[in-house]
Amino acid sequence: MKALVIKKLKKSYGDFLALKGIDLEVEEGEVFALLGPNGAGKTTLIRILAEGLGYDSGEILVFGEPLTKGTARLIGYAPQESVAYDLLTVEENLHFYADLYDAPRERVRKLISEFSLPAKKKARELSGGFKRRLNLAIALLYEPRLLILDEPSAGLDVPSRRELWSLIRKLREEGRTILLATHYMEEAEALADRVAIINEGRIIAVGTPDELKSLAAEESVIHVEGILKGTELVREEFPRTIEREGVLRIGVEEAKTALPRVVELLVEAGSEIRTIRVEEPTLEDVFLKLTGRGLE
Amino acid sequence: MKARAIKAIIGKDLRETRREKMTIFWIFVFPLMWITLLGGIWGGHSPPITVDLGVVYFNETAAFTAQDVVNIMENVTMNNVHVFNIARYPNESSGVDAVRTGRIDALLVFPRGFGENVSSGLQARVYVYFDRSDPQNYQIVSGVIKGFFSEFEKEMSERKLNITLSYMEKYIPANLAGNFTIDDFRRYLIGLANPLELEEREVRGESPSAIQFYVTSFIGIQFLFATMLMIGSGTLEEIEHGTLRRIAASPATAWDFLAGKMLSTFIVITVSILIGIGYAKLVFGETVFPSALGWLMIFLAAVFSMSLGLAIAMGTRSIKATNAIVNLISMPLLFLAGIVIPASILPEWAKPIANYFPLGTALKSLRLLELYHRPASEILPSIAWVAGSAFGMLLIAVVLYNWAIKRLG
Repeated sequence: MKALVIKKLKKSYGDFLALKGIDLEVEEGEVFALLGPNGAGKTTLIRILAEGLGYDSGEILVFGEPLTKGTARLIGYAPQESVAYDLLTVEENLHFYADLYDAPRERVRKLISEFSLPAKKKARELSGGFKRRLNLAIALLYEPRLLILDEPSAGLDVPSRRELWSLIRKLREEGRTILLATHYMEEAEALADRVAIINEGRIIAVGTPDELKSLAAEESVIHVEGILKGTELVREEFPRTIEREGVLRIGVEEAKTALPRVVELLVEAGSEIRTIRVEEPTLEDVFLKLTGRGLE
Repeated sequence: MKARAIKAIIGKDLRETRREKMTIFWIFVFPLMWITLLGGIWGGHSPPITVDLGVVYFNETAAFTAQDVVNIMENVTMNNVHVFNIARYPNESSGVDAVRTGRIDALLVFPRGFGENVSSGLQARVYVYFDRSDPQNYQIVSGVIKGFFSEFEKEMSERKLNITLSYMEKYIPANLAGNFTIDDFRRYLIGLANPLELEEREVRGESPSAIQFYVTSFIGIQFLFATMLMIGSGTLEEIEHGTLRRIAASPATAWDFLAGKMLSTFIVITVSILIGIGYAKLVFGETVFPSALGWLMIFLAAVFSMSLGLAIAMGTRSIKATNAIVNLISMPLLFLAGIVIPASILPEWAKPIANYFPLGTALKSLRLLELYHRPASEILPSIAWVAGSAFGMLLIAVVLYNWAIKRLG
C-alpha cells in the first residue's frame, strides 16, 4: 500500500512559486528521503503534510485517504526546531502533547524508556541530541503510521547524529514509514531506501541511492585538497565543480584525461596541492550533475 | 471543544507561570507594591489639616488686640492637633514673600489700629494673602481661615450684644419699649447679628475607606496590565517558539487553545487578586471580598481585557510592539478609567471614558456593588454592556488569531 501519494502539488507565496507541481509516492514501511538544498521546497512540502499549511492545487492521499485534519493523525512530525517548552520537564512536555493529541498517557512512560530520555530534566537543560530525541518521542506519542522528520540531525555533533540514526533505523525495523527531509547526502545515503531529489520546487529525480548514483555512473569525481588558487578557472572548464571546506570536487566524464588538466590549471594559478584522489560519485555528485550546483 | 486539550493548555501555562521568575514578579509582587504604596499614602486615618499661617501685627495698648487674636488661633485644636501653625513676620512684604515661596500657606495682616477698632466696637479690617496657584490647597486653606473668622465674628457679635442688652436693661425705661420685652429685643438683635445658624449633625455613611478603594484599584490594574500582557505575549511566545504551529496542527481547535489560554490567565489573576485582598486585610486591617456577582464582573472584564491583549498581539505579531501598545493603552486608562482616581473627580472630558470604556464600567459597577452595597438590579445594564463588549472583542481576537495562524511563516 502507498503510505503517501502526492499529485501535481502546487504552492505559492504571493508571486513566488515554492512548489511547481510535485508528484511523489512513498511506499508503506520504507524510509524515503527528500534531498535538496535549503530553499528547494522541502519545508513547504512538509508543512503542507504535517502542519496543515494550505496549498494552491494538487492532491494528497495518506494511506489512500485524502489529507484532512482527521487523516493528519496518521502522520507524526518531528520538526527541526524543538517543540518542547523550556520550563517544562521532559515528562511534562510529553504529557502535554499526549493530552493535546488525546494519546494514552502510558505511551509517555514507554517512550521515555525507549528513547532513554531524562524524564525529570527541564527541556532547556537538554543537549541538542536529547532535544531531537524528545521531538521524535513527541511525534510518536499517538503512534502515527507515517513519520516525517525535518532535518533530524542538522546541527548535531557526530556521536549524537549516529545515535539518532540508529533510533531512526530501529523505527524503520518496527515497520514505520518514514519521510525524511534533509540536505545532508550522508544522511540520505545512510538511512533511505529511496531518495527524491528536489530542487527549486520540483522533484528532479527519484530512486534508490544506487539508482541515482548510476545517473552519474559514467562520471568520476576528482577531489583536490590544499591551498587552492584558480578554482574559478577550473570551474570555467569543468562546470560541475564545487568547493567546500577547502576541498575541490570536480565531476568529470573521464578522470584519466581531466586529471592532468585540473592539476595544470591549479598549479599554474599558484596552488599548493596536498592530496588528490579520484572517487565514485555520491548523491551530491548526482545533484550536482542534475542541477549544476551543490547541496548547500 | 476538547476538555482534555483545554486542561492540558491550562496545566502547561500554569506550570510555566510558576517557574518563570519575572512573571511571578509582575503578577504578584508588583500589584502588592501598588497596594502598599497607595494604602500607605492614602489609606491611614487622616489627621486634621494644619495650616501654616504667617501673621503681621503691631503692638497696641487697647483692651483687645491682634496679639490676642493670634494667641487664640495658636490654641485652636481639632482632635488634639493644632489647626494653625503660626509664624510671625516683622512686616507685610516679608510675609508676602513667604507665601510666594511656599514657606507658609497664607498671611494675615492686622493693620495698625485693629485693636483699637475692635475694642471700641467699630469695624476692624484684616487682610489675608493666599497663593491661588494650587486651587485645591487654596480651597482648604481659605476654608479653614474663613471658618475661624466666621466663628470669631459670631463670638464677638454675641459679646457685643450682651453688653448692649445690659445697657438697655439698665437705661431704657420699661414703658418706652411699648409691648416689646428685653427678651424680644435680645432675639431680634441675635437675628440681626447672626441671621442664620448652621448646626452640624453627624451621619455615619457607607462610603468606603481608602484601602477598600485601592483594593478595587488593584483589581483594575490586574485587568489592565496582567491579563492583557499575559495572554498577548504568551501567545506570541508560542508563535516565536514554533509551538503554536504544532498546537494548530493538533486535533485541538483555535477555540480550545484560546479557552485554555484564557482560563489559565484568569486562574493566575484570580490567585493574584485573592493574594491582594488577603494582603490588604493583613497589612491594613480592611479589604473587599467580591460577591458572586462581583466575580462575574471581574470575569467579564478579564475576558474583555484578554481579548484586547490577544487582538493587539495578533495584529502586531511582536512581543515588543505588544508590550508597547498595551502600555500605551493602559497607562492613560489607569487614570482616565477611574482605576486609581475616583471617577467623580475626573475632568468632564474624561468621565465618558470611565463610564463607557468596558474596563472602567466594570470597575465602577464593582465599586457600586461591593463598596456602596447597591442592589444588583442597579448594575445589570453595566453587566450587559461589559458582557457584550467582551464577546465582541473576543470575536475580533479570534478572527485576528485565525488570520495570524494562516500567516505563520
